[in-house]
Amino acid sequence: MPLSTPKATILLQAAIKYLEEELMPTLTGYHRFKTRVTANVLNTVRRELELRGAQASAERKRLGALLGHDGEVEELSRELAQKIRDGAVTLVDPKLRTHISQSLHDALAINNPKWFDR
Amino acid sequence: MGNDSTATLLQRAIARHMGAPGTVYDLQQLTGGANRTTWSFDADVGGSRQRLIMQLSAAAPEDVPHPLAEISPHPTAEEGAWLMIAAVKAGVPAPKIRAILETSDGLGPGYITERVDGETLAPKILREATFAPARAKMTQQAGEILARIHSIPLSEVPFLKGQTAEEMIDAQRKVVDFYDLHLPAIEWGLRWAADNVPRQARRTVVHGDFRIGNMIVGENDGIRLVLDWEIGQASDPMQDLGWLCVKTWRFGGKYPVGGFGRREDLFAAYEKAGGQSVDPAHVRFWEAFGSVKWAAGCLRLGMRGVEEMGVERCAIGRRIEEPLWDFYELLEGRD
Repeated sequence: MPLSTPKATILLQAAIKYLEEELMPTLTGYHRFKTRVTANVLNTVRRELELRGAQASAERKRLGALLGHDGEVEELSRELAQKIRDGAVTLVDPKLRTHISQSLHDALAINNPKWFDR
Repeated sequence: MGNDSTATLLQRAIARHMGAPGTVYDLQQLTGGANRTTWSFDADVGGSRQRLIMQLSAAAPEDVPHPLAEISPHPTAEEGAWLMIAAVKAGVPAPKIRAILETSDGLGPGYITERVDGETLAPKILREATFAPARAKMTQQAGEILARIHSIPLSEVPFLKGQTAEEMIDAQRKVVDFYDLHLPAIEWGLRWAADNVPRQARRTVVHGDFRIGNMIVGENDGIRLVLDWEIGQASDPMQDLGWLCVKTWRFGGKYPVGGFGRREDLFAAYEKAGGQSVDPAHVRFWEAFGSVKWAAGCLRLGMRGVEEMGVERCAIGRRIEEPLWDFYELLEGRD
């Protein structure tokens, strides 16, 4: 990440503000809908930039504890996914369930935080 | 194929299949996509103006079929039309087929049905006060309609492909592998499903996508028409009851059946209308697995979004955790 400012998250906030507050009111139908979707995905990118770093280091620790060795998050997740499919871990393991719930919670906090409010 | 040539070909097809002169008015494309387009129009047939819909499927199959093309049942346009004809005969409010298009019509595979007015949008059906009378009727209607769909003799629709729960679980694993997704949450869900497949499943005609969005609803009379028969299959009938309860298809509505009704009322209406007796645990399997299956669906649609660089489908890819979250909530008894 360059040291220059404003930060990427601020650039996104400004772009989203333009789309939502200035552009969308001038649009109807197809382009209004597409602009809404575009603002939503930019918000997802913004939340990912803000949240994913801390989430990934916590996820890596949880995966390391479950699998008994260290590694990159993607590699460890791949290994755990394969073990679940192969039946090499028990489904009811509370630590596994906690890890899965926390990972889903983290992803929703980025992709659609409103999902928890229903 | 521009609008003008579609209108010209359509007029000829109507004159040939339904009656002269077949003059077409107000031809509008309602939805478009790589696989299917829907058109609305009126036509003069034998001196009366008729309100019609045309569904067209992609004409030429791709040279190299998509590696996932065969993982889910998919009747052709003509088979879909024959399924709707059988459904109407069984008393289901399915679109009434007026013509099945032939190669010589030049429009590609497809069919023409009668057009029915009403609402398909979930937020309106589930939240607007004017739809309160509809909501009060829809659970009962859904139970009756599903019982009738499941009563269609399989011998009338022998082309329907069968799919067991095990085959459906395998199909989702193929999707996950094809896109190289390694998500412990979805693997857990798929293994749970494999470990909990209901025994003694019957095999009947199954709609496969029976939910709000795929039905036309009237404010006072409720469900008028059941649409989207293109994944019709011969499968476990409880799949349709469970799918209607999947949280995604409640569209934020607070009741478990489609956002509008209670499970016990759906099951009672289904049994009373001649459906088999319902084991709630059996339906619950399909509801839970439905969420896992839809998670794989989000992956497929999201990756199609990447192929097309389309923002809307890409965004669906990022919805994969929503049904998975719902799946774990359901297993914890929070539904």
